[in-house]
Amino acid sequence: MSYDVVGKNIIRVDGLSKVTGKATYPQDISMDNMLYGKTLRSIKPHAYINVDISKALNLEGVKAVLTAKDVPGKNHHGVLFKDHEVFCEKKVRRIGDPIAFVVAETEEIAENALDKIKVEYDEIEPIFDPIKAMDKDSPKVHDSSNIVYHYKLRQGNIDEGFKNCEKIVENEYKTSRTDHAFLQPEAGISYIDKEGRYAVCVATQYPHYDRLEIAEALGVKEEKVRVINAAVGGAFGGREDITLQIHLALAAMKLKRPIKAVYSRKESFNAHCKRHPLIMKYKTGADKQGNLIALKAEIIGDTGAYASWAINVLRKAGVHATGPYEIPNVEVDSIAVYTNNPFSGAMRGFGATQIPIAHEQQMDMLAESLGLDPLTIRMKNIFTKGSKTSTGQILKESVPLDKCLAEIDKKMNFTQSYKGGVKE
Amino acid sequence: MIKEGIGLGTMFYGTGYGNGFPDVSKAEAVLRADGKVAVHTGATEVGQGAKTAMTQIACEVLGLKVNDIILISEDTSNMPDSGTAAASRQTYNTGNAVKKTCEDLREKIKEEAKLKLNLNTDIGLKLKDGYVYVETLPEKSIALKDLAKDKSLKIKGSFTAQTTEMDPETGQGAPYWPYTFGACAVKVSVDTLTGEVNVLKAVFTQDVGRAINPSLVEGQMDGGFSMALGYALLEDINVDNGKIKNDSFTNYLIPTSLDMIDIDNILIEDPENTAPYGAKGVGEPVMIPVTPAILNAIYDAVKVRITEIPVTPSQVLKELNKSKK
Repeated sequence: MSYDVVGKNIIRVDGLSKVTGKATYPQDISMDNMLYGKTLRSIKPHAYINVDISKALNLEGVKAVLTAKDVPGKNHHGVLFKDHEVFCEKKVRRIGDPIAFVVAETEEIAENALDKIKVEYDEIEPIFDPIKAMDKDSPKVHDSSNIVYHYKLRQGNIDEGFKNCEKIVENEYKTSRTDHAFLQPEAGISYIDKEGRYAVCVATQYPHYDRLEIAEALGVKEEKVRVINAAVGGAFGGREDITLQIHLALAAMKLKRPIKAVYSRKESFNAHCKRHPLIMKYKTGADKQGNLIALKAEIIGDTGAYASWAINVLRKAGVHATGPYEIPNVEVDSIAVYTNNPFSGAMRGFGATQIPIAHEQQMDMLAESLGLDPLTIRMKNIFTKGSKTSTGQILKESVPLDKCLAEIDKKMNFTQSYKGGVKE
Repeated sequence: MIKEGIGLGTMFYGTGYGNGFPDVSKAEAVLRADGKVAVHTGATEVGQGAKTAMTQIACEVLGLKVNDIILISEDTSNMPDSGTAAASRQTYNTGNAVKKTCEDLREKIKEEAKLKLNLNTDIGLKLKDGYVYVETLPEKSIALKDLAKDKSLKIKGSFTAQTTEMDPETGQGAPYWPYTFGACAVKVSVDTLTGEVNVLKAVFTQDVGRAINPSLVEGQMDGGFSMALGYALLEDINVDNGKIKNDSFTNYLIPTSLDMIDIDNILIEDPENTAPYGAKGVGEPVMIPVTPAILNAIYDAVKVRITEIPVTPSQVLKELNKSKK
C-alpha cells in the first residue's frame, strides 16, 4: 500500500531552525532581573556531611544558598525509586552528589560562593566493586541490601540441556561505563509565570514527569508547575533523571526572580547517569548441527549510588539475554547492585545494548567449534514468524530477521568466504 | 602488519517500558478556524525526528500538507502526557495515539461536512488538501476552514501498548511489544604493531516495520553506528575510587566525522499490524548489533577474542601478546 506522506522523505520539521542556529536551547534564554545558580557537589564517594553556609551567605551579591533544609516538599526524586535527594541531608553516596545550590547576582559571585561553603566529611567505607557489594557484610550505600533487583528467567531444564550439547562455550564479558556525550550540557531557567506557576524551562526527555517531581519537592500541586521543553541538544537516556530542574524551581520560589544555571561539560559528566557497566558470565551450548540447546547467563549491573532505571535496564538485559534465538533451555539471572560509583541509568538500548557483546561472540565461538560460518549458525537459530521467545511470548508477525541476514550475506558473502567455518 | 577481518552482529529489541507497566500516550487534535489542525502531544523531539514523524502521521490521516499541521509538543500547560522519549517508544506509542486521535477528528469533520453539505450520509466523503468532498462528485465540497469558522472541532485520544507482567520466579510473560530486529556486518583492519582498529566497510540492515520517513531512519542508523563505534573502541569514563577520570572531551574520546565511514544502510519493511502504518521504533535498535559485529571482526582478523570493551589499541596489543605465549 502506498501513502501520500508516510514513507516520504519529508524534510525534518525542526531542521531549518537547528542548522541556521535559530533553535532556542535552554542556555540561549535570558530574562530581566535574572540571577545565576551554581551547585556544590560532593567530593567524597561515601560520607556523612555537616554543612555550614554562613560565610557564603555573607558574600556580597549572594541571594540564597539552598540546602536540604530549604526543600518545602519532599527532599527526594527518582524515576522509579525515590532514592535521590534533592540536596543530600546527612550523607553523600557518590562523588558529584548535590549538597547546596548558590544563587547570586552573577555567575562569578555564585562560583566564588561555592568555595565559602564549608562541608565536613565524616567518611564511611565506600564500596566500588558490585560483586563485593552483594555480600551481606559489605558497606551499605542505602539503608538495606545493596541488591536493588534480581530478574530470573527460567525455561526448560538447563542441566539436561547442557548434557545434550555437542559443544559448549563459556566466557566472562565486561562492558564499560559510558556517557551519553550529548552536545548540549544541562542548562535551564526558572521563573514565576503570569499565572503564578513555577515555570521551568529545560531540555528534558519527559516534561510531564519532571513536572511531577518538581511539584513534589516544592510541595505544591502539579498544576502550579509548568515545564517548558526548549530545543533538546541530544539525550540518549541522559535526560531522564532530574538534574537541575528542582534546584532552579526552588530558587525561583524562594527569591521570586528568574534563575538560570548552565552546567560545564565537566559538571555535566558528574551530574547525569551513565550506561550500566555489566559483568556477564555466559555458557552457551549447541548440538552437532549447530542448533542452540542451552544458555545460562549471570549478569551483574553496577547501578552506582542510585537506582534510576536499574530495574528496567537489568530486566531488559535479562529478557534479551538469549539474543534473537530460539533456545529451549534457558537460565538467566540479572542483578542490579548499588555501589558508591557514579550512578547508572538509561542509555540508548537500556541493557539490550550490552548483552550482544556476550551472546554474539558466543555464537561465533560455537560456530567455529562446530565448523559452521557465523551466518549459517544464526540462520539456524533466529526468531522467525511464530517463534516463541524465552519468556514464552509468541512473535506472531513482523519478524524479518531472516531477510536482514540474507541482505547482509548478499553484500558481505559470509557463507562463501568461510568454508568449513574457517575463513580462507 | 595490517590484518583484515569481517564480523557479524544480530539483535532484537522489545519496545517500551515493559512488564505490564501502563505505557500510555495521549494526544489532542483541534481543527482551527484557519483550516489548519493543531496536534498537541507530549512527545519530546530529542533529535530522533519525533516532530516530523508525528506530523507525517497526522498529515496522512487528514489529507493535509506538512505546513497545515501545527505540532505542539513543548509545554506541559499546553499538551497531554505522552510518556518519555525513551525505550524507542514514541513512534509506536505516540504515533498510534496521534493516528487514532486524528482519525476521530477526521470522522467528526465528515459528520460536520455532511450537515453543511446537506448530505444523507458521511459515507464516501474524503479529506484532501484542506477540503472535504464527495469522492464521486468532487464539486460537492467544503473547505476545512469554513467548517471550523463558527465551531472549533476538538478530539482527545490515547493509546496503551499491550504488555504483561512477568512471573517473578520464572520470568515468563509478554514483557514488551513490538520487537524490532536488525543485523550489521563490518570489515575491520587491525594493525598488529600498534593495536589500532579501523572499520573499513559496513552493511547494516534494520527492520523498521514501515519507515514513516526513510531518510530519518537512515540518520538514526548512522548515529547509532557512530555511538556503537565509540562504545566498541573508545569510550570509558574511567572511574577510580568513585571519581570520573575522563570527564571532558580531552580524554573522553568519542568518534568524530573522520572516524565514520559510509555505511550501506538497508531498511527492511515488514509492517506491524498494531503499529501506526506498521512503523516500529528504531532509536535504540540501530546501536545494538554494531559493537558485537566489530568485536567478531577483530577476532576474524587477528584470532584473539576480546571480552572487555572498549577495545583500545593497548588492549589489542595485550591480547595479541598473550596469544603469542
